[in-house]
Amino acid sequence: MNFSYRIVYVFWRNLVSYKRFVLTTFLASLIQPLFYLITFGIGMGAYIGYFGGKPYLYFLVPGVLITSVMMTASFECMYGTFVKMVHEKLYDSLIATPVSAEDAVAGDIAWGAFRGLVSGGLMMIVAIFMGILPVSPLSVVLLILLMVFVGILFSSLAMIVTSFAPNFDFFNYYSELVITPMLFFSGVFFPLDKFPGWMKTLSLFMPLTHAVAISRAIFLGEYTRGLIFNFLVIFVLEAAAFLIGVKLMKKRLIK
Amino acid sequence: MESAIMSLRQSIMKPIITARKLCKKYGKFKAVDRISFEIMEGECFGFLGPNGAGKTSTVRMIHCVSPLTSGTLTVQDTAAHVDNRTIKQHTGVIPQEITLDNDLTVSENLRVFAHFFDIPGQEAGKRIAELLKFVELEKKRDSRIDQLSTGMKRRLLIARALLNKPRIIIADEPTTGLDPQARHLIWQRLRQLKSQGVTLILTTQYMEEAQQLCDRIVIMHQGRILKGGVPMRLIAEEIGREVTEIRAGADQDEKLLAALGPLASGHERVGDTLYFYCGDGRPLMKKVLELDLPDTVHRPASLEDVFLKLTGRSLIE
Repeated sequence: MNFSYRIVYVFWRNLVSYKRFVLTTFLASLIQPLFYLITFGIGMGAYIGYFGGKPYLYFLVPGVLITSVMMTASFECMYGTFVKMVHEKLYDSLIATPVSAEDAVAGDIAWGAFRGLVSGGLMMIVAIFMGILPVSPLSVVLLILLMVFVGILFSSLAMIVTSFAPNFDFFNYYSELVITPMLFFSGVFFPLDKFPGWMKTLSLFMPLTHAVAISRAIFLGEYTRGLIFNFLVIFVLEAAAFLIGVKLMKKRLIK
Repeated sequence: MESAIMSLRQSIMKPIITARKLCKKYGKFKAVDRISFEIMEGECFGFLGPNGAGKTSTVRMIHCVSPLTSGTLTVQDTAAHVDNRTIKQHTGVIPQEITLDNDLTVSENLRVFAHFFDIPGQEAGKRIAELLKFVELEKKRDSRIDQLSTGMKRRLLIARALLNKPRIIIADEPTTGLDPQARHLIWQRLRQLKSQGVTLILTTQYMEEAQQLCDRIVIMHQGRILKGGVPMRLIAEEIGREVTEIRAGADQDEKLLAALGPLASGHERVGDTLYFYCGDGRPLMKKVLELDLPDTVHRPASLEDVFLKLTGRSLIE
């Protein structure tokens, strides 16, 4: 592994190009989570009413925040990276400079996490305007850190997929078989405790489950000891996914 | 005289790049097969060959984006390998494919690349202005890449390759797909760089390009080096000075060879054409006139003849 400070340059390159389509990405990353908030939050929430002593939206918002981080980071490191690698051959010219393949991939993972943070941050602002506030200013800071942390995880996982994707269609498998099930089985929209045992066990294997649990605890300021387990699961998975993602991408880039 | 100068030059100059038994395999396919060569500081060295000869694979190993399978490769006294940032820091690459950043403008493309080489902001600004002038793209500095013609894109690739003031420039088929004007402009720029003392490594399948630019060449075919040397001398040694092409069916070979063969240093039949190679073509042409063969071309020998003689005139696939 050959990392250097040049990761920052790769991140900066993405930032320079971002200014041309920043507004369109704002819209794109807001629309889906906004639908969830409106349909589930306001529509269904009206029937559900209170949930653990608070309106349903307080349950929903922290989950949707993290979901939007997952979506944006994943898609950036699948479609975004694939275009840069295969269509624009950008990586080829990058690795001919002192920027190593590892720097380039790590820079893009950092970029995916940043894009995730922007989406999640926008959702948080929307939620605040709707009157659904995190419990304290400290919670806001911790949520931002969490979004970056989770962003790196999903960017790295997506990088692994990109490292052996032959074409765009391949990404459908990942989004249909991994991303979508996580959306519904990770406790974003409703608690998992009414699930049968095997489903509960299954959900433990989904990283989103753990991310949502942490997000909800921070949002509501209700910390429990179980969160350490959630955190460790994400941390270990993230470290592994990052190293594997970088390694596989390097294998694809350098022949 | 010429060879005396050459040997003198080679004894003064030391190689900046040395390859010994260099091999590159992709799976079972041998792209580069045990080649050895030396490139001197300040010369223009050309790798010539048809598609798939192993030229690009070789230069990719030189600029450290492709690992060696076996053999040794030394660039500026350090071993070439994919994590060698020192070699990359001092090398400029003009890639075969247009790898510009489509999301950025012309000047942003250069600005971002200047960062990759750790060039500080003010210095980068100065170099970018100079380089845009050098490649005649000052007016396009704020254009987007898709607004440029192919020739302009190629010129921008040259500017990008020069940002780090490289000691070695690798130009991988730099004029593929360009019109004659654009091609000549690029040749001029490359010659200008060479006159500034930069070592230039060129891969090309255009013989004219090699003849225009290269001090020394190697002809590659199927991963091996077939021949190498100074272009003019290679032509003289392999072909002679002149070539006579006679379009005539194979049924006339016997007659033509009997009449013309003794006057030529060599001959070759390819398809509908019989080629005669000679040092002085006048006696042969006299005979051609006597025999009244109207469908005949007489011309100076070129690198293309050497190339085709060595790699075979039939289509390579």
